[in-house]
Amino acid sequence: MVVTERTAFYFPWEINTDMVKDGTSVRTYGRLTSYVPEESKAVLSGQQSSAQCHMSVQTTLVEPFQPILGAQYFVLGEIEKTDGLSGVLLRSRALTCVDGVDLTLMQQAIVEQRRFFKERETKMNVQAPCCESPPT
Amino acid sequence: MMAVNPGGADAEEPPSMLWGLDPVFSAYSRLYITDILQMKESRQVPGVYFYKTHPLFQVDVLGTVVYKREREDFYCYGVDDSTGVINCLCWKDEKWRDQGEPTKCRDPSGSSRGFNIEDELKRLKEAERQSTVLEIGDLLRVRGTVKTSRDAREIKATSFYKVSDPVMAVQISHMLDMPQLYRKCYDQPFQMPSDDLGGTEAGGSSHFHYLLSRSVLILKEFLLEKEVARFRPYDVEFLLHPLIPSSSAEQESDQPRTSFATQIRKLLKETLSVLQDEGQIFRKMRTQDEVYNVTEQDKDLHTAIKDVLREDTKREKYAEKGCHVLHILSSVRQRYSQNLSREVLEVALTFLECNSDIISTTEAHYTVL
Repeated sequence: MVVTERTAFYFPWEINTDMVKDGTSVRTYGRLTSYVPEESKAVLSGQQSSAQCHMSVQTTLVEPFQPILGAQYFVLGEIEKTDGLSGVLLRSRALTCVDGVDLTLMQQAIVEQRRFFKERETKMNVQAPCCESPPT
Repeated sequence: MMAVNPGGADAEEPPSMLWGLDPVFSAYSRLYITDILQMKESRQVPGVYFYKTHPLFQVDVLGTVVYKREREDFYCYGVDDSTGVINCLCWKDEKWRDQGEPTKCRDPSGSSRGFNIEDELKRLKEAERQSTVLEIGDLLRVRGTVKTSRDAREIKATSFYKVSDPVMAVQISHMLDMPQLYRKCYDQPFQMPSDDLGGTEAGGSSHFHYLLSRSVLILKEFLLEKEVARFRPYDVEFLLHPLIPSSSAEQESDQPRTSFATQIRKLLKETLSVLQDEGQIFRKMRTQDEVYNVTEQDKDLHTAIKDVLREDTKREKYAEKGCHVLHILSSVRQRYSQNLSREVLEVALTFLECNSDIISTTEAHYTVL
C-alpha cells in the first residue's frame, strides 16, 4: 500500500472536534487505557488541563502488539467519523509505545511547528493575496 | 486557483558559477519534506533544485516509514515527517544478500551455561541485520540526493539508518530545531556577491579577489588562444564585461555608486598588474602609449635570448656551465629592452626550454643546444 497523504500532528483533544475532517491522516498520542484484542479496539486517553478525552483506535493493521496499559503511545492513522454513537475512530497504521515521553515538551514542539507554518502562510498571503493558501 | 509555492525561487536564479559560494549547496539540507516535494528544479543545471534563493541537491530528512517496497537491490521506503511523504531509495547491503532467512541460535534465551561464542555471533549478526531493515512505523533518517523520476520526487539515499527513539526525544528536538534552521538559514536570502567594486580598495574585499582571479584566467586564456603578441588595454577590455553584472550599477547600496565603466577599468588595471608581476606580459617601452607584449608570443625577445646564449656560450667562461639568469638578464636588457624584469625573463626561458630551443644546466643556468 503506497501512502502519499502526510500525517499532521494533532493533540488528542482535537481529534474528536471539527478540526479534523473525516478521512484525514493524522498522528497523535495518548495513554493506553483499554485494549480488546478480539475486536481489535484500543482506547487512548489524553488530558488537557483537567478535562479527559478518549479516542477509539482500530488496531487491525498493527497487530500483534504488546499492550502496556497505562503507557503513552504514539499513533498514526486515518480518522473515520461515523454518525453513530461510537464517535470518532482512528484506523491506525502505526502504534508505538513511547512511555517516558516528555508531554510538555512534545506539546511545545507541536505548537512551535504550527506557529512556523502559520507565519509562513501569513507571509505568503501578504505577498500574493489573490492566491489560495496551501492547506496546513 | 494557483497553488502558492512557499519555497518558490524568484524568476531570476542566481548564476550557477556562484552556487559554490552558498554553504547550503554543499550541505545536506534539513528541509521539511513538503518543501523538498515542492521546490523547483534549476533551469541552468538539471538535478539542482532551489528552495527560495538557495541552490541544493542533497537533503537530510527524519520521518516515519509509512510504506515499504522491496526490490532486488534496494528498499523503497515512504518517509513521512508530518509535512509530507517522500520516496526514499535505500540500497541493500551486500553482506546480507546471501544470508537468507535469519538463523535461529540454539539457545535463544541467552541464559545458557557459559558463553557460547557461536550463538553470540549469530545474535550479533542478527541484531546488525535488524538495524538495516525497517518496518512500517519505524523512524528513519535518510541523507541523500534529490531526484525527480517520472514526475515524482525521491531521495536516493547515500546513508540511512533506523533511529532508536523510545521516548520520542529525537522527533521532538527535530520539531523544535527545524523552524529555527529555516529562520536562520534557509529562509535567509543567498547573499549574492554583488559588492560595489568602486568602494573597496584593491584586494580589500574577497569578492574582488575572486573577480580578479577570474579575470586573470580569462585574459591568459584569450592571449594564448588567439596567439596575441601585443595588445593595448582597450583591446581586451571586452573580456571582462561578463564578470560585472550590468545591473549592479542600478542596485541600491549605501556605498557611493560607481559606474560600470569605472569598475571595469579598475578590474582591468589590477588584472594587467597581476599579469605583469607574474611576467606573462610586459611593456617594452615606457611611453604614453600603453602597449603590452605577451612574453610567450614575443618572437623578438626569444631571438634576443637565443642570440645571447649562442654567442656567450662560445666563450670559455660560459662554455661548460652555461649562462646564469642574471647574466642573461643584463645582456638581454642591453639588446632588447631596459625595462625587462626577471619574472618576464624566467617565463621566456621556461617557454624556450619547453620548446627545446635551450636547455638548463642547473636551476639558474642556461645554454643552447
